[in-house]
Amino acid sequence: MSEAPLIELRNVGKVYDGGSKTAAVSELSLEFRSGEFSAIAGPSGSGKTTLLNIIGTIDRPTHGEVRYAGRRVSHLGREEAADFRLRSLGFVFQSNNLIPVLTALENVEYPLILQEVPKEERRRRSLSALAWVGLEAFASRRPDHLSGGQQQRVAVARAIVHRPMVVLADEPTANLDSKTAASLLDVMEALNRDHGVTFIFSSHDSAVLDRARRTVRIRDGRLAP
Amino acid sequence: MIRLAWRNVWRNRRRSLITVSSLAFGLAAIMFGQSLIKTLQTKLIEKATGSITGHLQVQHRSIKDYKLPDRYLDAPARVEAAMAADPRVAVFGKRVHITGLVSSPVSSVGVLICAVEPSKERRITTMTGHMTTGRYLSDGSREIVLGEKLAQRLDLRLGEKAVVMALAADGSMGAGAFRLAGTYRTGSTTFDGNIIYIPLPAAQELLAVEDRVNEIVAKLHDVRQVDAVKRELAQVLGGERDLQVLSWKDIDHEIVGIQSYQDGLLTIVLIVVFLIVALGILNTLLMSLFERIREFGVLMAIGARPAWVMRLVLMEAALLGLLGSGFGLALGAAIIAAFGRWGLTLSLGDAVSYFMPFPSVVFLKPAWPSHIGAAVCIMAVSLLAALIPSLRAGKLRPAEALRHV
Repeated sequence: MSEAPLIELRNVGKVYDGGSKTAAVSELSLEFRSGEFSAIAGPSGSGKTTLLNIIGTIDRPTHGEVRYAGRRVSHLGREEAADFRLRSLGFVFQSNNLIPVLTALENVEYPLILQEVPKEERRRRSLSALAWVGLEAFASRRPDHLSGGQQQRVAVARAIVHRPMVVLADEPTANLDSKTAASLLDVMEALNRDHGVTFIFSSHDSAVLDRARRTVRIRDGRLAP
Repeated sequence: MIRLAWRNVWRNRRRSLITVSSLAFGLAAIMFGQSLIKTLQTKLIEKATGSITGHLQVQHRSIKDYKLPDRYLDAPARVEAAMAADPRVAVFGKRVHITGLVSSPVSSVGVLICAVEPSKERRITTMTGHMTTGRYLSDGSREIVLGEKLAQRLDLRLGEKAVVMALAADGSMGAGAFRLAGTYRTGSTTFDGNIIYIPLPAAQELLAVEDRVNEIVAKLHDVRQVDAVKRELAQVLGGERDLQVLSWKDIDHEIVGIQSYQDGLLTIVLIVVFLIVALGILNTLLMSLFERIREFGVLMAIGARPAWVMRLVLMEAALLGLLGSGFGLALGAAIIAAFGRWGLTLSLGDAVSYFMPFPSVVFLKPAWPSHIGAAVCIMAVSLLAALIPSLRAGKLRPAEALRHV
């Protein structure tokens, strides 16, 4: 792991104002380094998803800041944030990750289409990403013809196809049985180990958290001891 | 993007088919309406100008009722020279119109006497095509041609004589005998029962007007040039202060009124259809948007810009509009072709034919510039209707969209 932090969170807080003010995340300062395989742990409602959304520039913090390699990204405009995510981040969500009308290959290609990568290169890189997650043979299948575990692996392939700085996964195994969850974590671990992909994922499942090399625990939006 | 938009369109096949069908049926209905109105208008102009009016007329300036000119032109030669010099004028002829009486040994009927130059009149109007017995007038004769119905009322047969009477220019009652050369049937009550045709020289003698006439009528090679020819002829004849140049639109102004009325009705129908189309598209896209909010969240999370998402929604609307327009054009063309071949029976024809010869069955013709215009409007309306869902999609916040179930 390199010395300089890849991601820095300084006094980050998020307050939702829906009549009464609710703090989902409070005064959080954290650092992640390139090559990490880290987990954010905490019970339901602890603020894991909000924290990951803030790290992923999907949501803006109410206060504090987020930096990537020294660049402040927490207050980018909508278009700039979209461009930043497209070039630098990969995402895996809990479920319904994929566009149902596109095949596995087309889903994986999508970040490259948005980046306007030429078709031949796009196809080559997408097939390669599918091969890394062991699904090259399923390239032409649509999501409804894939199992839940296979869908999540396609989502991982889509998250890494454009070689992002970090892949953020929000409870990627929550809807999977333990065997399939373990298989998905095997894939993620292999990508981290063999290809240096940085992963930050959230979970409240101890079996999943045991696989992380570093675990950040939060409770009620604050770092837990 | 096109591939994704296309597949999104067919994600809910039944809903998209209903939307495309409503667009197609809407456009086909518009095309049918456009074709019907255009065909009727063309027929009305053809029949009005071909029955009696012609395309252009020159009358005395003081005349107010253009259909019954009661003043004579003193120097028709200059008008004839101007018309002869214009290559856009196909044929022209002199006429005298006057009310009078036609009598047989058994009856007398008040009529409009139409005195014409027979050889020229054959090319100006279509009356020769309506002859049922005998033949049309010949030059230099003292013959009469009248409607079948009138001949029956007068109990006149071919070759028998009728007496025509009218008030002469000198105040006396002019009268002359004319032999029945033929009868016609147009289907028009007015033409078949109240108009008679006699040769011009005989009428001029009867009315003691020497070589004077009360109108000179012209037929153009192309009726669409009528306004330009009218304007230029009026300039050429500018020195003749007692003349006025009139187009068929001035004389048959009620037909222009009917055209405006029909165009107004068609416009209202178009607006209603376009509104229905817009609501259909809006409904389809809004439902589709609400069903896919989380998916838009995923797309935005992986880096799709808001403008890209908006374009995706607009593209889906454009595809729906394109499909609807394509099928609508095909369906509309097929309906028009069917009614063009087998005809459409309209009671309107009987109503109009009271005043002029008009068929009860019309054969529709396509009006492609109008049809293409309507198809383009359908596309434009589809895109306009998509603006609301498109803006809503563009305003989605990824974090909120991802929470949507």
